[in-house]
Amino acid sequence: MSIVEAEAAQLNVDRPSGLWVDAWDRFKRNPAALVGIALIVVFIVAAVFAPQIASFEPNEQAGPLATNPAGPGGDHLLGLDQQGRDVFTRILFGARLSLLVGLVSVAVGLAIGLVLGALSGYLGGWVDFAIMRLMDLMLSVPGLLLAIGLVTIMGRGLFQIMLVVGIVQVPTFARLLRGAILGQRESDYVLAARSVGVPGHRILLGHILPNSIAPVIVQATLAMATAIIEVAALSFVGLGPADPRLPEWGKMLAENANRLEQSAHLVIFPGLAIVFSALGINLIGDGLREAIDPKLKS
Amino acid sequence: MLGYVLRRLLLLFPILLGLSLLVFLFVRALPGGPAIALLGERANDQSIEQINESLGLDQPLPVQYGRYLKNVASGDLGSSVRTRQPVTSELSRRFPATVELSLAAMIFAIFAGIPLGFVAAKRYGGVLDNVSLVASLIGVSIPVFFLALLLKYIFAVKLGWLPTIGRLSLTVQLDHPTNFYVLDAILTANWTALWDAIKHLILPAIALGTIPLAIVARITRAATLDVLSEDYVRTARAKGLDPRVVDRRHVLKNAMLPVVTVIGLQTGLLLTGAVLTETVFAWPGLGTLVLDAIRFRDYAILQGGILFFAVIFVLVNLLVDVSYAFLNPRIRYR
Repeated sequence: MSIVEAEAAQLNVDRPSGLWVDAWDRFKRNPAALVGIALIVVFIVAAVFAPQIASFEPNEQAGPLATNPAGPGGDHLLGLDQQGRDVFTRILFGARLSLLVGLVSVAVGLAIGLVLGALSGYLGGWVDFAIMRLMDLMLSVPGLLLAIGLVTIMGRGLFQIMLVVGIVQVPTFARLLRGAILGQRESDYVLAARSVGVPGHRILLGHILPNSIAPVIVQATLAMATAIIEVAALSFVGLGPADPRLPEWGKMLAENANRLEQSAHLVIFPGLAIVFSALGINLIGDGLREAIDPKLKS
Repeated sequence: MLGYVLRRLLLLFPILLGLSLLVFLFVRALPGGPAIALLGERANDQSIEQINESLGLDQPLPVQYGRYLKNVASGDLGSSVRTRQPVTSELSRRFPATVELSLAAMIFAIFAGIPLGFVAAKRYGGVLDNVSLVASLIGVSIPVFFLALLLKYIFAVKLGWLPTIGRLSLTVQLDHPTNFYVLDAILTANWTALWDAIKHLILPAIALGTIPLAIVARITRAATLDVLSEDYVRTARAKGLDPRVVDRRHVLKNAMLPVVTVIGLQTGLLLTGAVLTETVFAWPGLGTLVLDAIRFRDYAILQGGILFFAVIFVLVNLLVDVSYAFLNPRIRYR
């Protein structure tokens, strides 16, 4: 037994731990991240089991039509809205929409952003120049304005809106991945792979990408929170999903924005739903960042 | 340094040219058009044609774009189809409002965020550190418009401490040499108006400044933690320097570099947030101008407004890059 092995045995170290094992260990010990997980579990359970949990349908008239509908109490945990619909039920079903919006738009942004970023970082030259200048152009317009403009052109269907929110995130992902790849491209293991004749696309997909992906994963997590808030913001300026029956949180809030005095519950509860889901995602994203970035290791 | 700045400024032209083309096409891709938006119910083929002809919209797109570029080069951004005002005068009226709001929000974020982050780092792992961490995460998770609505309801409607909308009370008279109301009031020594303008600024600035506040606090904390473990800080302490001097001269100054970057980056987000904050507080700035322009298909305002946003954004980024060199003499631009 060598000295190193003997010491390892003494320290009770039986296997070298990888980046992800280490990261998971750190993540587990981060109370804030665990709170985030708890919030997101609630959010996902609400989304998946909405029909089982709710005692009403999201568009069912469960109470009387009223200008100033009843607040929380009785059969209606969070009160009724002006059409007599149960607010709690609509918030549960709204979780489905928000989950969908978060996943789909980030998937769109990630897919396009990763392809552009990878091409840009790996190929360099004029491809890099053209892609990055396009990204600069997109970044030189405030994100919400870009989204507002695109939604106005493409229409207010739910799918279009998710697409737009995803497109707005493309430059962030593209630049992030490009930066990470540039950092890896000249490293020894890439040189080694190239010198033994590994083809370019396999170096990119099999070596560089896995080593550059950590910051992208963190960003993708955080981007889900941004996406949920962005869709709510679009609703707030009157450019949310056009279908009036959709229980989208931002729209529920926006429709009653000026009625805080009369029916505070119609504004507060959808608002809190947005805050807590975004908070849960941000806590997880933050925990991931601290877990993955060894510089922050305490 | 000067060469670097000049080169960056020159780079502004291709960016603006590209952007102007994109915005031009984007604006024309909007469904409807100024004629329909203007005429509303009275729209018929003939009247639409008439209006399009008078606005030059019946010409082929390359011709329209060429004419637009020529006009822009001579400083003419066109006129609003709705108010008939020149775009430049609309922008010069609205721009100071947005800048004033953004500056107030940034001041709030910086003066609250840096001390908060610094203290959190000094008490690393303590109660205050954890509280500020959670608070800043809530700060970035709350939608701007929701916070704005809540602030407006609590402090303006319920408690009546502060005004609900606008930049100035109707009863207050003020001359506008600059259109920055706070500055106007100071210049004309109109103290009633100054107090009134500041009161109108407080709530929108807090609403808009909360996200940057949270981010500035977190970056300050992270940067301070980094610097605190540096050798030169230990050396400064070891040679018996007053801890306050160490904090100020060695720790804080070196921790400011990433903070400045983030402040710059936040300016872009601030402009985005301004669209929403301005809507809630009926603040007559660029955000509400552009939103209205989209609704009314006001091509000229839209083109001018978006380009204007972009110019500010690019200039702010340049300013950030230049300020690095001042904060960190190790960085040299060539």
